[in-house]
Amino acid sequence: MAINLKPVDVAVVGLGAAGGVAVLPLARAGLKVAGIEAGTWMDPAKDFKPDEIHNNVRGLVTTVPKAKQEIPTFRTSPDAKARQAATHPMMNAVGGTSIHYHAQSWRLKPWDFKTRSQTIQRYGASLLPKGSTLEDWPVSYDELEPYYDTVEHEVGVSGKAGNIQGKLDPAGNVYEGPRQREYPMPALRTCDFLDHMHKAALSLGWKPFHAPAAINSQPYRGRAACAYHGYCDRGGCHVRAKNSTCFTTIPEAQKTKNLTVFDNAQVTRIVSDNNGKVTGVLYIRAGQEYFQPAKVVLVGSYTYENTRLLLLSKSKAYPNGLSNNHGQVGKHYFGHWDAQAGVGVTALFPMDVNTWYGAMLSQGVVVDEWADDTFDHSGLGFIGGSSLCTFMEKHPIAGASMSTFGRAPAWGSKWKQFVHENAGRWTSAYLQGNSFPYENTYLDLDPEVKDPLGDPVCRVTSGPKENETRAAIHSQDKMEEWFRAAGAIEIVKGQPFGPGLSTHTYGGTRMGDSADTNVVDRWGFSHEAPNLGMLGGSVFGTSGARNPTLTMQALAWRTAEHLAKNWKGIAGA
Amino acid sequence: MSDISRRAVIASAAIVPVAALTAAAQSTATKPAALALSDAQLRLLAAFVDRLIPKDELGPSASESGVPEYINRALGDYLASEKPAFIEGLEATDAFARRSEDRAFVDLTPDRQDALLMLMDNGSAAGFPNARAFFNRARRLTMEGMFGDPYYGGNKNFAGWDLIRYPGPRLATSQDDQKMGVEIKPYHHSAYGASGEGSSGANHGH
Repeated sequence: MAINLKPVDVAVVGLGAAGGVAVLPLARAGLKVAGIEAGTWMDPAKDFKPDEIHNNVRGLVTTVPKAKQEIPTFRTSPDAKARQAATHPMMNAVGGTSIHYHAQSWRLKPWDFKTRSQTIQRYGASLLPKGSTLEDWPVSYDELEPYYDTVEHEVGVSGKAGNIQGKLDPAGNVYEGPRQREYPMPALRTCDFLDHMHKAALSLGWKPFHAPAAINSQPYRGRAACAYHGYCDRGGCHVRAKNSTCFTTIPEAQKTKNLTVFDNAQVTRIVSDNNGKVTGVLYIRAGQEYFQPAKVVLVGSYTYENTRLLLLSKSKAYPNGLSNNHGQVGKHYFGHWDAQAGVGVTALFPMDVNTWYGAMLSQGVVVDEWADDTFDHSGLGFIGGSSLCTFMEKHPIAGASMSTFGRAPAWGSKWKQFVHENAGRWTSAYLQGNSFPYENTYLDLDPEVKDPLGDPVCRVTSGPKENETRAAIHSQDKMEEWFRAAGAIEIVKGQPFGPGLSTHTYGGTRMGDSADTNVVDRWGFSHEAPNLGMLGGSVFGTSGARNPTLTMQALAWRTAEHLAKNWKGIAGA
Repeated sequence: MSDISRRAVIASAAIVPVAALTAAAQSTATKPAALALSDAQLRLLAAFVDRLIPKDELGPSASESGVPEYINRALGDYLASEKPAFIEGLEATDAFARRSEDRAFVDLTPDRQDALLMLMDNGSAAGFPNARAFFNRARRLTMEGMFGDPYYGGNKNFAGWDLIRYPGPRLATSQDDQKMGVEIKPYHHSAYGASGEGSSGANHGH
């Protein structure tokens, strides 16, 4: 039997990048918040090491028991049988993936929110990706701008503005949407290789800039500046310079005494009454089931789990899963076309580039000429493109596992000679492509594979797409041009094969004005269950050509603020 | 792009490709480390990995650098679920040698060992259908042992890091540590203390 807990105003499911931000405006507004998190607190001194085997080979920061037990299955088409992957792309912890992410903190472009209408306007409907279910977002960049600004300051983002209220500055990204003011901290420091790549981009007539990052470039709100030690990737920050929500918004919300964190608590169902309102969540902690009554529930687990949790939460009012009476839960899913989708470019230089140390993508130089709708797509046969990012940080096992570019065998003395000379001379670029939802890309419950509680895991159906493949190849060619301009002597390009399970996935509870094609409204609340809100990438309608976290956080803040301001209407108090 | 180069790209970009992570997801075994391999299996493994990373003018061999010890510990502990398959692969390698050359693998000349490993590497080892998968797995574990932190039993005397001129993990770096075209002075420290050899392998403290 479930133990009934004391009612709260808001139950937030998942204290990661999105839920961990939403709790702050709620708690500040005086609402009593239960933050229910499947993982627990991590300890920088104990858990975060400059150790590639710990972080990358064994995934000991990112792999935790709960996520491992509910790994989604995957297939590329609705006719195929889905197979369970070897590992879950996500993790559970207070702070969630914001602990080990690369922390690039981008605003999406105005175009990303209005891709459909702007594509039709500029090129005609024929250039819309075939079979896509693309819609304009119900929110514009301008509407989201104040929330981007708030989160940049609350979480702490380093960067250089390229467009302050329409005034362009080539030191920043001149292709970004207008922002009301400068970033709270300057960009992370530059270094030889980044200067070298910067110069090469300028020589091509492009406009390179330093990546924006939720990493402190200088001490910020009592936390240290980045030490650039080169173990940011899949590791937490040993000096807490990476602004993971467990170091920023969550402790800030705890200070109000209005947030209670329930860790190691695995939410299994969201409960709803016969009128279609949600009444709280069921969770399991140390083998005991609890019911946490709440006037409002905000769900901020990962994209896969957001859909799964709704589909598992059936009731009289929602026989096909919570908020799924229109059959839209799990639809309009898509993954990012990035390195996880085979979209990479690797370069060999004739000199030591020494990219060993740094802060991954966050200590990076980016080119945005070939992303979004920055360039004319007439006659190209695709929309979108990729941001191109060169960066610092390479670990020794990965460094030695380099391509031999056809210049040496893969083992033996000749190979030793090759890696001795070249392990410090190669690097790769990170390309992230504009990606879109399709009719045949979706999430549902796997008919066979179950987690240890007997609940089906999420099944992912997502195959390669012509539009994104063409865009990826175009972007790789541009990246090769950039590397060549910087003096690269060998280039290897990945073969884009499409996203599998990924840390950058979107949709399943898409945001839109029409309940026929979307699960949540423009504020992030369910079209069907009025006191249920959704947080995270699962509400996105397009990906942008850049990391999603800051946009998730701006939306989460906006949803939470909307809730606080409209408390009576939404909670029905 | 070959598997290896794609993996390297992906690993460096910090991405989690499903296909490349089969290894990492094998086991969460945290019981005290048991060593997995017999003396004979260790001798065979040493002969194998020493063809991948031989002793030469650039430095010590894989076995001199503790690679078999790394693999032995890993299979007894973190990769325990993989131990039977790995031992099967080692034994199949030896059986392949005995079939092809009428001798144990360890008794072959380095040239003959190379010839057999090449057949395994390109998937044409007669009567050894999983040869390529085993070869790739052994090579991957060799890379981990040679270039991972010495704490785990390999990379003895920082031989792996010196080989590729990786200057070593440190808690903070300066712009000088990120200079191009210069030799960065190596810092011979494990993430777990000066030598990384304080660990018996029995108590990985994390």
